[in-house]
Amino acid sequence: MSVAAAPSTALPGGLRGFKILLPFAVLIAIWWAVKAGGGIEDGLLVSPLQAWDAFVHLATHGVLAEYASSSLRMIGIAALLSMLIGVPIGFAVGTNRYAAHSLEGFLRFLQSISGIAWLPLAIIWFGFSHTTTLVIVIYSLIVPIIFNAMIGVRAIPENYVMALRSLGASRFRLVTDVYLPGALPSIVVGLRLGMGYGWRALIAAEMLVRKGGLGDLIFGARTFGQIDRIMVGMIIIGCLYIIVDRLIVQPIENLTVARWGLLRL
Amino acid sequence: MQAAAPSPEDKIVVTGFRHFFDTADGPVQATDFLDLCIRPGEFVTLVGPSGCGKTTLLKAIAGFIRPTEGTIHCDGKRVAEPGRDRGVVFQELAILPWRTVRRNIGHGLEIMGVPRAERDQKVSRLIELTGLAGFEDRYPHELSGGMKQRVAVARTWAADPDVILMDEPFAAVDAMTRLTLQEELARLCAATRKTVFFITHSVDEAVFLADRVLVMTRRPGRIKAVIDVPGRGSGRDWESFKLDAGMQLIAERVLRLVRDERGATTPSGAGAPPAAARA
Repeated sequence: MSVAAAPSTALPGGLRGFKILLPFAVLIAIWWAVKAGGGIEDGLLVSPLQAWDAFVHLATHGVLAEYASSSLRMIGIAALLSMLIGVPIGFAVGTNRYAAHSLEGFLRFLQSISGIAWLPLAIIWFGFSHTTTLVIVIYSLIVPIIFNAMIGVRAIPENYVMALRSLGASRFRLVTDVYLPGALPSIVVGLRLGMGYGWRALIAAEMLVRKGGLGDLIFGARTFGQIDRIMVGMIIIGCLYIIVDRLIVQPIENLTVARWGLLRL
Repeated sequence: MQAAAPSPEDKIVVTGFRHFFDTADGPVQATDFLDLCIRPGEFVTLVGPSGCGKTTLLKAIAGFIRPTEGTIHCDGKRVAEPGRDRGVVFQELAILPWRTVRRNIGHGLEIMGVPRAERDQKVSRLIELTGLAGFEDRYPHELSGGMKQRVAVARTWAADPDVILMDEPFAAVDAMTRLTLQEELARLCAATRKTVFFITHSVDEAVFLADRVLVMTRRPGRIKAVIDVPGRGSGRDWESFKLDAGMQLIAERVLRLVRDERGATTPSGAGAPPAAARA
């Protein structure tokens, strides 16, 4: 019995992994076929194997670690600062009906001007510096965090707040005991969205600022026509984002949803 | 109006309470020069048609809304904001889903800064009293509707306010559970001698729980009638309540008063259906 049961439970897991990897395998196969079949020269496109060699070279010489850690550090700092600044703003706006009304349109307006569109101004103001990169990334990250913190606070039933006030809760108590836990699932959604926007803005800013990071790596490689480095860099950008999202942000989201249970009733 | 003149001993005194709401179509009048006195330790229930301003009155006593006109005093002090002297139990959705039963019930004590050991002791006693033993560490989404309301009631009692305001606390609970909760509440109130102001749609519930039933007019609401219900003593139970002719007579009278206000489909007076129809 148990012997028969084991494969049937193991199979869906394996199947899921296979399903996730399948599109990647197809893409690599097409890439390979185009390179080999089309007879495209190395100056335009390298083969997956050549890209792998470039990856090994970059990884073993410590170059990759340096560029990648620079990008990760930047997104980490930006995420932290965005939460510290964005959540209180979102709460302040969300608990004030009039402010929420007037700011909602404004936030949507800001959301439509991508972080990259701020790069020209930021470079004029802060030069080709880490400050410029950080400002652009925080800008991209913070708008969805503010927005979702605001929405999260507004979705909290008024009864929670009234009940606590009649138990003698101070404003600070309301924040720690009602607003923060109540809005947390929404804030995490905002963080997750913001990380996506922020990561893209980061790579773009790094390409222009040229002070390290994966954007710098692939843009620098272009100068020397190092197609293999460019392609490896792009793949790393995608992989790192998935890793950060799946290993850090999503577990937080799952945790809050699981703990908070059927909050939506 | 039969509302007695306020005396200094009254726990809650509402005078000339008139309230308007701002809506898109202009101001709507919720209540009209409403007067009300509640004596210490008294259980007062309020019935009236939907939208007559019952909840507005309760929220004003709780301090959540400021009256457009009139004053509200609690213990001789003018009510200006919510306070822990006036606990509130809402119809639903008021216990926090991210806190366990124990931490929800102890929340008021936590806010007051009551030491852990003392808090645990008080909470455990209320968990016993409200029949929640065994569910201390559950989250609200794991509880039935009736148990959630028990938690809400226990949380309010744990904070030990002088006055407890209840806004249709059992309306969202199934009929059988409601009967049990009402009996439990009657016992709890008799044991703790709190001053309770209780809003309901149900005439039977109003009479069953009360020392005094207030009937409100339709909007803008005023107190239309005050009916004394004798012999609350140590709490009532439904079997004897149903068999008590005196109680049934009171319930019928209240029902008639409420029905008149709703512009009832049946003519008032003789032949009003027995109060049991509302149970």
